[in-house]
Amino acid sequence: MTTFDANGVTLERIREFVWELPQEGEMRSPARVLASEALLEQISDDKTLEQLRNATHLPGITNYAICMPDGHQGYGFPVGGVGAMDAENGCISPGAVGYDINCGVRMMTTNLTYSDVQGHEEELVDALFDNVPSGLGGGGIVESDVDTVEDVLARGVDWALEHGYAVEEDLLHCEDEGMREGADPSKVTQKAKDRGKNQLGSLGSGNHFLEVQRVTDVFDGEVGEAFGLEKDQIVVLIHCGSRGLGHQTCNDYLRKIEQQHRGLLNQLPDKELAAAPAGSQLAEDYYGAMNAAINFAWVNRQLIMHRTRQVFERVFDRSWEEMEMNLLYDVAHNIAKKETHEVGGEQRELYVHRKGATRAFPAGHPDVPSAYRDVGQPVIIPGSMGAGSYVLRGGEASMDLTFGSTAHGAGRLMSRTQAKQDYWGGDVQQELQDRQQIYVKAQSGATIAEEAPGVYKDVDEVVRVSDALGIGDKVARTFPVCNIKG
Amino acid sequence: MPFELREHTADIAVEARGESLERTVAAVADGLAAASCDEDEIPADAGERFDLSVVAESREALLFEYLDELIYLRDVRLELPVENRVRIQLEHSDAGDAANADAADATSTPDTDDATDAADVVGTAGTDETDDRWSLEGSARGVPLTEIDAREIKAVTYSEMRLEAVDGDPDSGTTAWEAYVVFDV
Repeated sequence: MTTFDANGVTLERIREFVWELPQEGEMRSPARVLASEALLEQISDDKTLEQLRNATHLPGITNYAICMPDGHQGYGFPVGGVGAMDAENGCISPGAVGYDINCGVRMMTTNLTYSDVQGHEEELVDALFDNVPSGLGGGGIVESDVDTVEDVLARGVDWALEHGYAVEEDLLHCEDEGMREGADPSKVTQKAKDRGKNQLGSLGSGNHFLEVQRVTDVFDGEVGEAFGLEKDQIVVLIHCGSRGLGHQTCNDYLRKIEQQHRGLLNQLPDKELAAAPAGSQLAEDYYGAMNAAINFAWVNRQLIMHRTRQVFERVFDRSWEEMEMNLLYDVAHNIAKKETHEVGGEQRELYVHRKGATRAFPAGHPDVPSAYRDVGQPVIIPGSMGAGSYVLRGGEASMDLTFGSTAHGAGRLMSRTQAKQDYWGGDVQQELQDRQQIYVKAQSGATIAEEAPGVYKDVDEVVRVSDALGIGDKVARTFPVCNIKG
Repeated sequence: MPFELREHTADIAVEARGESLERTVAAVADGLAAASCDEDEIPADAGERFDLSVVAESREALLFEYLDELIYLRDVRLELPVENRVRIQLEHSDAGDAANADAADATSTPDTDDATDAADVVGTAGTDETDDRWSLEGSARGVPLTEIDAREIKAVTYSEMRLEAVDGDPDSGTTAWEAYVVFDV
């Protein structure tokens, strides 16, 4: 049997791109890494494998803890991690969801082509940067009060529809139609609401961005047509999450778990894996709060999309309807959802945690919106600002291999401190413009350096593995035109 | 070193060391500010000082609550907290008044370089028991976010968190401390 050894961890090769860490010691299940050898070399460079092994200690973990091809070290649970815990006898873990609840990506299509935008790039990037709040303390698109936040938490994009920030069609192209059932605003603390109030409709900073892109390749014409994608078309990608409201919600519940479920916590190898036992009051409370934060994030991205439509209207002097600026889809990649999966021939209800992983349900699955049920759920894989992104569709093998999941991006390769030593923001910005005609604008040069294309893994390789495994099939590739970030 | 920023694949870590628990905790907070904005870009005289307080059941939980509170206050005050100062006290839920009195005496000169660490001299019962109550009174200068280009640190994490006495009894009051904290970016 072929094995791969790294940092005291030995993985066994099950088949091409599937590696297994056998169950031993206190592990409650084996773990699996889905990667090529090249990606595995990178994944094993930091503590990803150790964190993946730690994740198998969570109660009720079913089949395997799984690391996606873009996995890297996070905190507690690795980024790129999928863990399905039994919803009756297992647990729900805020640490396995992550701080930025419903951090995710949405793509909006247009009927503009690259030639329509050429010559307008600087005007467009400036207008987007001036009108879409980003960075720290930049406020939000909506000046909200406590009542507004409560309403957003309870109703999600339905709130945006009522207030003129969305149209019906937007809801039909969003998971759960933009409103998570079971959202309970009363379980979100006042502190979290206070933070969210100033930030509704804002990108934040770090790896979050808004990018105008052009479609460079359509690999699957039939699915591409169903998604409304064709070569040379302009699309817009928006990547952000639930802002301070989500971050605070995660920490509030980590602390509650620490105080109320210390016994379980003490069994876990990393405090950041803190979990509430399924069926406990705290598990119910966290699920209600997390679902509310999911709604907040959907509205956040919706508001940014609404503002982007307005910016395009001004720059291109026609209505957004005329430019057919329609939501293709919105995917979450930091989330836990109660889902029914087949396990050992039985239907079981599981809390499927996806932390830096994207749901990728195949064609025919009842939870795929009717607009895409015949072809499979759109999956958006953002790459770095110099490498392009992918649109996939949920693959047939995803239900068996990954609880209906695939990767969420390129995955970081280099630390932020190292990136700032290796790159200077101004140089990166100029090179992207001169060599690749990509116009970038950010609140600080340091952010550009930290997000330089060279700090990420090869997104092509990540997608190659996803496609080959049949968990997320390639549909189209896009390339940046303008990028704004915090 | 009061603190150093340490590498982490996706996020950022702060490692701090101080001659007392209080100075170490404050140094981590200064590290949080440095992770948000280059120190030489922070104007020396912008912003007013403000106070904050947190309580928790252990030293580590207190550090977590303190950093969480600083991030919360940053978002609601729209100010980056810098030049952090702290006083820490331990109150025993059972022992009550005696321990409180000890702690209060030991922190009679707050916010000065000569201040003695209350938490370090409370006595032999200074362990992280869950029925203990640790309290922190802190202050910071709030630099308006409009005056700096600051990067958002999303949250403090417990991942790999370390807060430990170096070469000595954590309750002795003469021990140096080290801390390591990973922040989500």
